Amino acid sequence: MNRFAMPEWAHPTLWPVSAKVPALVVAFMIAVSATITNGVLSRLVETQNRHLTQLSGAYLDGLSSALLPHLMRDDVWEVYDVLERAAQRYKGLAIDWTTVTDASGTVIASSQPHRFPLQSQLPEDVLRYVATGTELAIVEVQGLASLKRDLSYQGRSIGTIFAQVRIGSLMDERREVLKTLVLTNALLTIVLAAIAYALIRRMLRPLRTLSQHMREGATGNVLQISDQALPRPHSEFGRLFRRYNSLVAAVSERERLLGRLADEKRLAALGRLASGMAHEINNPLGGMLNTLDALKRHGEREHVRQTSTRLLEQGLTGIRDVVRAALATYRQDREMRSLAKSDLDDLSLLLRPEVSRRNLVLNWSVDVEEPIVLRVADVRGSTLNILLNACAASPVGATITFSARASNGRLEVTVEDEGVGLPDEVLDYLRSPGGIEGPAEERGGLGLWMVKRYVSECGGAIDAHRRSPRGSSICLTIPGVAQKEQAPCRLQVA
Amino acid sequence: MIENWLISRRALVFTGAALATQRTSAGTPIIRFGLTPVFLSNDIELLDQLRDFLARHTGMSVVLVQRRTYEEITSLLLSSQLTAAWICGYPYVAYHDQLELVATPLWQGQPLYRSYLIGAAGRSASTINELAGDTHAFSDPNSNSGYLVTQAALARLRRRPEEFFRRTFFTYGHRNVVRAVASGLAQSGSVDGYVWEVISELEPELSKQTRIVAQSELLGFPPIACAAKAKLSPEVHALKRALLGMANDREGARVLRLLRLDGFADAPASTFDGIAEKLSQVRNFG
Repeated sequence: MNRFAMPEWAHPTLWPVSAKVPALVVAFMIAVSATITNGVLSRLVETQNRHLTQLSGAYLDGLSSALLPHLMRDDVWEVYDVLERAAQRYKGLAIDWTTVTDASGTVIASSQPHRFPLQSQLPEDVLRYVATGTELAIVEVQGLASLKRDLSYQGRSIGTIFAQVRIGSLMDERREVLKTLVLTNALLTIVLAAIAYALIRRMLRPLRTLSQHMREGATGNVLQISDQALPRPHSEFGRLFRRYNSLVAAVSERERLLGRLADEKRLAALGRLASGMAHEINNPLGGMLNTLDALKRHGEREHVRQTSTRLLEQGLTGIRDVVRAALATYRQDREMRSLAKSDLDDLSLLLRPEVSRRNLVLNWSVDVEEPIVLRVADVRGSTLNILLNACAASPVGATITFSARASNGRLEVTVEDEGVGLPDEVLDYLRSPGGIEGPAEERGGLGLWMVKRYVSECGGAIDAHRRSPRGSSICLTIPGVAQKEQAPCRLQVA
Repeated sequence: MIENWLISRRALVFTGAALATQRTSAGTPIIRFGLTPVFLSNDIELLDQLRDFLARHTGMSVVLVQRRTYEEITSLLLSSQLTAAWICGYPYVAYHDQLELVATPLWQGQPLYRSYLIGAAGRSASTINELAGDTHAFSDPNSNSGYLVTQAALARLRRRPEEFFRRTFFTYGHRNVVRAVASGLAQSGSVDGYVWEVISELEPELSKQTRIVAQSELLGFPPIACAAKAKLSPEVHALKRALLGMANDREGARVLRLLRLDGFADAPASTFDGIAEKLSQVRNFG
């Protein structure tokens, strides 16, 4: 049977602790009960057999001495009378019948004359259950014990006593003892299991509280355990709960600091962007002001007027493009739409100040002919983050290669630089599963955290590795909406 | 039990002085009685009542002597070791020249009784011939009703008990004969008719397991006898007077009721002629 097809309750490892402990108690009690029951019954059987042996021995001893003189005289009546009187004296033995035969096996007298007539032979069906080698043979199936005692005088066999004893009462006693033991042990087991269940439930109550808080915390609602629910400070759970509350406090503080850091980073990035934009706008503005000056002085000339107008148009167009790219990148747009080539090409405009400042070479390649639907704003933000990091990591005059390609319902964005390469902790961070925990400076900072969070959310993957001889390569694989189900979130880190 | 004592009456023997009169250390004459059966305690209690009655009405000390068989009692009586004995008609007839009647019990108004041949309750036999091949229980080889009557009946048929029956044995007690037949140990038995009737009254659950196959004619009831040479002794005289007056005494009547007897009579020796005839038949058959 396939174990994975079995219901959950069939796997004890999946049971809650509150069920496991009572189940263990039950199993333990069953084992103990079985051992005790077996021991008690064995002892009882041993005792009963010993008593039966002693009693039957006494019965046969008494009969032997009483019967011997009558048997020697072949006195039928006295033999019978002895058997009758003995049956009344040994009532504790539950004698079914007793028969005395002579040396040849012929019946002299029996306590059941109708069944064993005088001068007859003992029937085969009786002899089958009568002991042959020993004085006492117990046939439990029939609830009978057979007795036999050879009688001899001066070394000569003069007869044999055969008897059958009902031991049904002994069997009944065993059954009663067994029933009592089973009932008692079952009751004890149930009571102990119930006590164990109640105790475990009570003991685990704080754990359930903690588990509930942690479950809520996993959904983002990290809350401290209220003071009313806190156990005593010196108890095990009391210390645990307080440590948990300390942890929650630390996480909340970290979240708060993280938020502030993110704001600062954002402001810093905004400042950098504003600076770059100012630079981009300032450059054409200088030319445009010169052109305006030329127009003022030589505007009557047709040639000057046309050239100035063209230059002004070029300058304004450049300013418009820069402003539009900034708007597209930083507006709070979470909507899905089809990615256009210009959505990525615009990013080069935002990079231009950094590229120019560091005298970098930018190789730009965008191939998004295949339509793909995704959160374009996040794609642009993530790509821009990686590109800005690449610019920051690259030495002056280095080359940064950017390529984007849409195929098979997914977008692959690759950024390569010629910097010193990603540090180990950043690679570890990018390689770690999930990895959406808070950023740290040593793990690449807020930018990479935001990139990884987005990629994880959309079910994409990050492939990051160092390049030989130098530099790094980061490849984002982002599935389109239609491909999301077929493209499970995977994180490939080279 | 009292009943046990009653139905074992034949085995109960009380004897009168015979030999030289024995006396107690206080000089009181002693009457010696012999009792053979195994008594239960309350039987002994009844015997104590009987002994007390006899002692009170004879003015002598009474001693009970127990033996198992009639033969032993008869021997003690013949050897004058007993003052008197309640014996069976058979030994009285066999030794009539050495024994004298002291008193004979009256049952149903006369000193007579019958011998019964009994079988198991479900048996349909009505003659002794139908009992051939049985395991047969006799009471005592010196009992008239428990042996001689059946022996004589077989002698008339020219048969002997040991070859007519497959197996015979003696129980040394009439009640034992009834028990043997009732239990199936014996298929038939020879028993004192008086005892069987008393059992029917007192232990019907035992007697109902048997039925009467055949009855003998009326024969002399087992008498109380003494040695012939002691018949004039004061002990025997006192004993005879006490027994014959028993029915008229309140204490004696109570004992007689328990024995299911009417009293004691001074019956003539001819009362036992029927038994003598049976003995003759047996002896003649050889």
